[in-house]
Amino acid sequence: MAQQLAMVIDAAKCIDCKACVAACKVANSVPEGQFRNWIKQADDAPVPGKASGKAKFQPGACMHCDNPTCVDACPTGATYKDPATGEVVIDHGLCIGCGNCLPACPYGARFRNAEKRKADKCNYCPERRAAGIPPACVDTCPTKARVFGDINDPESEAGRLYQKNKDQLARVTARTDTKPNMFYIGDPGTPDWGGEAVVPASMVAMKQTAPLLKAVVGLSGLGVLAMLGRQLIAGSGDHKEDTDA
Amino acid sequence: MSRRDFFKASGLVAAGALGGPALLGGLKKANAAVPAPAWDSKFSACDICFNKCGLIARVEDGVVKKLDPNPKFLKSRGMLCARGNAGIAQVYDPDRLKHPLLRKGARGEGKWQRIPWDEALDMAAQKMEEVRSKYTPCGHLFSAGTDLHSQFVGRFAEVYGSFNVTSHESLCLVSGNRAFLDTYGEVPFADVLNSKYIIMAGANRFEALVTPDSMDLMTAIRENGCKLVTLDPRYTKTAALSHEWYPVRPGTDMAFMLALAHVIIAEKLYDPQWIEEKTYGIEMLAEHVKQYTPGFAAEQCSIPAEDIARIARELAAAAPAAMIYPGRRTSDYENSTQIRRAFAIVNGLLGNWDKPGGLLAARAVGLKGVPYDAPWYDENQEDRIDAHKVPMMFEHEGSFLVTRDAVLADDPYPIRGWFIYKTNPMGTAPNRKKTIEMMNKMDFVTVVDIAMSDTAWMADLVLPSQSYLERTDPCSGLQGSVACACVVKRDPIIEPMYESRSLFDVMKGIAGRMDLGEYFDFTIDEYRRKQTRDIPEALEVMDRDGVYYNPSKVYGIYEGRIYKTLSKKIELYNQRYEQMGLDPMPVYTEPTKVPKNQFRLVVGRDALTTQTSTANNSLLHQFNPANTLWLNTESAKRLGINDGDLVEVSSPVGRQELAAEVTDKIRTDTVYMLSGYNTLSTMQTLSHNVGASINELLDDDYDTVTGNASMHTTFVSVTRKVA
Repeated sequence: MAQQLAMVIDAAKCIDCKACVAACKVANSVPEGQFRNWIKQADDAPVPGKASGKAKFQPGACMHCDNPTCVDACPTGATYKDPATGEVVIDHGLCIGCGNCLPACPYGARFRNAEKRKADKCNYCPERRAAGIPPACVDTCPTKARVFGDINDPESEAGRLYQKNKDQLARVTARTDTKPNMFYIGDPGTPDWGGEAVVPASMVAMKQTAPLLKAVVGLSGLGVLAMLGRQLIAGSGDHKEDTDA
Repeated sequence: MSRRDFFKASGLVAAGALGGPALLGGLKKANAAVPAPAWDSKFSACDICFNKCGLIARVEDGVVKKLDPNPKFLKSRGMLCARGNAGIAQVYDPDRLKHPLLRKGARGEGKWQRIPWDEALDMAAQKMEEVRSKYTPCGHLFSAGTDLHSQFVGRFAEVYGSFNVTSHESLCLVSGNRAFLDTYGEVPFADVLNSKYIIMAGANRFEALVTPDSMDLMTAIRENGCKLVTLDPRYTKTAALSHEWYPVRPGTDMAFMLALAHVIIAEKLYDPQWIEEKTYGIEMLAEHVKQYTPGFAAEQCSIPAEDIARIARELAAAAPAAMIYPGRRTSDYENSTQIRRAFAIVNGLLGNWDKPGGLLAARAVGLKGVPYDAPWYDENQEDRIDAHKVPMMFEHEGSFLVTRDAVLADDPYPIRGWFIYKTNPMGTAPNRKKTIEMMNKMDFVTVVDIAMSDTAWMADLVLPSQSYLERTDPCSGLQGSVACACVVKRDPIIEPMYESRSLFDVMKGIAGRMDLGEYFDFTIDEYRRKQTRDIPEALEVMDRDGVYYNPSKVYGIYEGRIYKTLSKKIELYNQRYEQMGLDPMPVYTEPTKVPKNQFRLVVGRDALTTQTSTANNSLLHQFNPANTLWLNTESAKRLGINDGDLVEVSSPVGRQELAAEVTDKIRTDTVYMLSGYNTLSTMQTLSHNVGASINELLDDDYDTVTGNASMHTTFVSVTRKVA
């Protein structure tokens, strides 16, 4: 089975200290006033005496969904789901900064990077992973509420938690169900804040008329590929499983 | 073929025509896994608050790119909080002090002249000599905050001849330390991790982070089934994550604790053998707490009597793995030592001392002091300027508020020089106007800091200090409760920026110019070797792991050992207090009622703020750009104040303006704001003129036993500010 990188989060452990948010900003040079991750807060009115014991704070970020509406909305294919790792990736070489993907994310996980003027979001800190250390938010978390890894690998901490808590894992239930790969153990705290994915009509049409488009795009693509030769065909073969064509 | 492939391909048509083969390679690289950064990883310890969490600095080309937790650092459970992560913003703050500055205009006017280090050190030495000859050595005051170099300020003061050294602690926690010291003979650490029942009062451990307690508290709750009960007039994050929260009437915690003692004793819920063998004064205590019934406490605290009785029973049932968390916010009332004595006494009844889930004695760390023989000065004063004004001051911490009053009154002698390192009394001591007066009384004030704090802003000579990532620090022993007893050190991660120098080098420079050079005739490396003479492997282990652990005993340290108290037992009844005319057991007095149409102003912390020292941090500033006044919804309605309205807050000592945050998370009779904002120093560009300064508003009452500031005794009026 291919990997599925994911976060398994015990929201009840979150103390809303913002260490994950600060660590992410430094690790990824996120511009002033912009954030790749967050902590949501349950808007509960305080009641003196017995409390409900429910989770109050909910850490989150891009959920690297199984059904990523942001991919549908991207006109250039800059955003895609990596079939090898299950990550939703932004290829900044292809991103034109059109902003279509921002409302397409029902969780508000995407923003236009004010300095790079391109789409930005959590990428699980690939440089850090290459150096053998966890994503910054996971590494720094004081109560270790965030656990990251391949949930298909039962040997990993994330996989172990995923298997162990399978029956009580919860997801954020947005109005558009994108099947997020961010799992909350037990009580997710504030589950229903996700909105509706807004994908431009042209992109929806493109998806609906996929067979026809596939032919058209494929034909023009073939022309291009023919000109560029076999090396390019090999180079572009990595992402065949894109959902939109 | 997907859109992605198509665009990638067609993009290359254009690019390929221009760039040729180089771009084909580029494409391959884009598809390859991201390479690991060329990091040089170096150990250090955080310095953005007092906890000293272990960290690994990731350095590229001499620039710190990221600070990560040291996973081997058990005291902080392998974490680094938001402030720790924001350390980079402190080190690379463009507002940092860059070279020595000499004041040119009036104090606080902000006119400075850059001078060379040699001239600065000559001047500091000369001015200190002048003060010494004119006013005796005790005519010079020395103040230092919590830092690994701070001990050199104490050393300098002693060899210079002054007894007058104050720390930050009398603006923070000394009354709590006093109370526990006078009950157990030493100040305990809490074994939060193994506790089954914790009452948190006068502490906010999920925001005011203390390692490992804050992390252990969550593990205890989530994984060990520990119950947490919080008393706080605010609905803090700790309150939100507690099993039970009671918005206690401020100043009545003692009544709650005495009622717990009442129930535990009346219902004989304690271990009689423990009480008999280990404690002194149970009969007197039993008699004393008869009057403090849950019904009595309920009226005082606004907590239902049946809940108080139930909590007492639950607490006793979980004992000895149960505790009243000692807490650190003990600079609250004029009787704060006695309030915390009540906390200590209930712990005594629970029999939790030196046991899992209870209060722990300090563990052996292995570090040794580096002694020296200070010279004798015949002309010196008899004692500190703040001596004998409160009965139980900590000599090595002093009382900042008592000292300030004494300086202002020249009582019993004048002080005209002040040397300050890494503490900012202008920003942390209540009644800022008085601190300004104190400054104005001085002939010469020298401040060593990395930033132009308000204290530096009022000084004569400002010397730029190295940050924690630029200098060599002595070793420091840390207590980590059940996690560890450990040693840390700091080596330079990056080259010192600008003209900054370490405090040690500054002291050495001044001492050398005053014929005191022999007392600073060593290097920090030599000093470390002396500190670690009993644990010679420690330095090498720290190079390898970033921390050295002493494998010392955790529990049962007091087996067969006597307690350092008069009775040689845990003192429920304090004989020494009796001899000194203090209450041997805490006597409850009702706090002053909040005057009509006024509020009690309380202080507090969040996880993103270390008082004034983070006020100008560009990363943390994004979370809390300005402080707000927490005001209860009902009270706000009565005053016609809406959320976000600008309000004027006035107290007997000052007035400030800030935005109101209308919320249900605070009692109707209480208001709160974060400290650290609205600095006078315009060289703190993010905090100057932003929000309100709490220390401009707080009145300067203090604990009558220790001289610790009492920050919760100020009443304020709040009015809507009409533009």
